Amino acid sequence: MWMALVITHGLLAFLLLGAITHQVVSVWAPVRAGAANFVSRFRAVGSANYANAIIVLYLVTAALGAFIYTNYRITARLTLEQGHYWKSFGAFEIKEHLIAIGLALLPAYWYFWRQPLDGADSATRKSLTALLAFIVWWAFLAGHIANNIRGLGT
Amino acid sequence: MSGSNVGGSNMSGLGANKSGMRSSRRFRAFAITFAAVYAAVYYVALSNNWPLFSYGPAVGEWTLFNHAASDGPTMYWYGWIATSAITAGVAGVIAMSLPENFGKRLWSGLAWLIPVCAIAAIIHLLGGYFTH
Repeated sequence: MWMALVITHGLLAFLLLGAITHQVVSVWAPVRAGAANFVSRFRAVGSANYANAIIVLYLVTAALGAFIYTNYRITARLTLEQGHYWKSFGAFEIKEHLIAIGLALLPAYWYFWRQPLDGADSATRKSLTALLAFIVWWAFLAGHIANNIRGLGT
Repeated sequence: MSGSNVGGSNMSGLGANKSGMRSSRRFRAFAITFAAVYAAVYYVALSNNWPLFSYGPAVGEWTLFNHAASDGPTMYWYGWIATSAITAGVAGVIAMSLPENFGKRLWSGLAWLIPVCAIAAIIHLLGGYFTH
C-alpha cells in the first residue's frame, strides 16, 4: 500500500510542479506578442487559470505526503541516517518545513489571484507565486533524491 | 413604480457590492496576517520544539504537547503545524475585526517577506546537515 501511495504522491507532485512552473514563468517572463515556438507558448499560458488547480493539488499532495511521512519516519529516514546521507537528509528535513510554510501562503495566494486581477497587487502576486514555486521545486527534488537513495519497495 | 423598483434594486446592488468589497478587504487582512504570523510562529515553534501534540508512528501514540513516544521515534511536525495554524488563525481573525483602514494599510508584501525570512532562518538552523 505504501508503495502505491508514494507513487500517487509523486504523480500529484509532478502535476503540481508542471502547473506552478507554467504559472511562475508566465508571470515573470510573459509573452507579449503571438507565441511562435515551444518556449514562447510555455510562457504564454493564462496564468490566472492555474491558481485554483495549484491550491487543490498542493493541498492533496501535502495531505498525502503528511500521511506517508509516518512510514518514512520509521523506515526510509533510518536508511538515510545509517548511510550518513546528511545532505539529502537535511534537504528532506527542510522540505518538511517548506511544505508547512507553503500551506500558510495559500489563503493569500488565492486572494491575490482572484479574478479580476488587481494591478496594484501585481508584485505581491508574483512574489507569492515565485515563493510557492521554490517550495514545490525543493520539495519535489528533495523527495525524489530521498526516494532514489532508499529505493522503492526495498 | 417601476422606476422606484429599478432604483431599489440598484441600491441593493450597490449595498451588496459595498459589503462584498468590505468582506474582501477583511479577507485580505486575514490572509496577509495568517501567512506572516504562521511563518514566524512556525520558526519559533520549531526552534524551541513547541508542538501542540506529538505522535509516535511506531506505536500509533498521540500525546499533547512535547512528549516522547513510549517506543520508537517521535514526530513533532504535525504539532508544529497545529501550533502555528491556531496562533495564525487567531491573529488573522483579530486582524479581520480591526477597522477597515487597517486592512487597507496592511502591506501585502508581508505575506511573502516574513515567510521568506522564516525559510532563511530554518535553512540556517539546519545548516549543520550540509557541513557534516
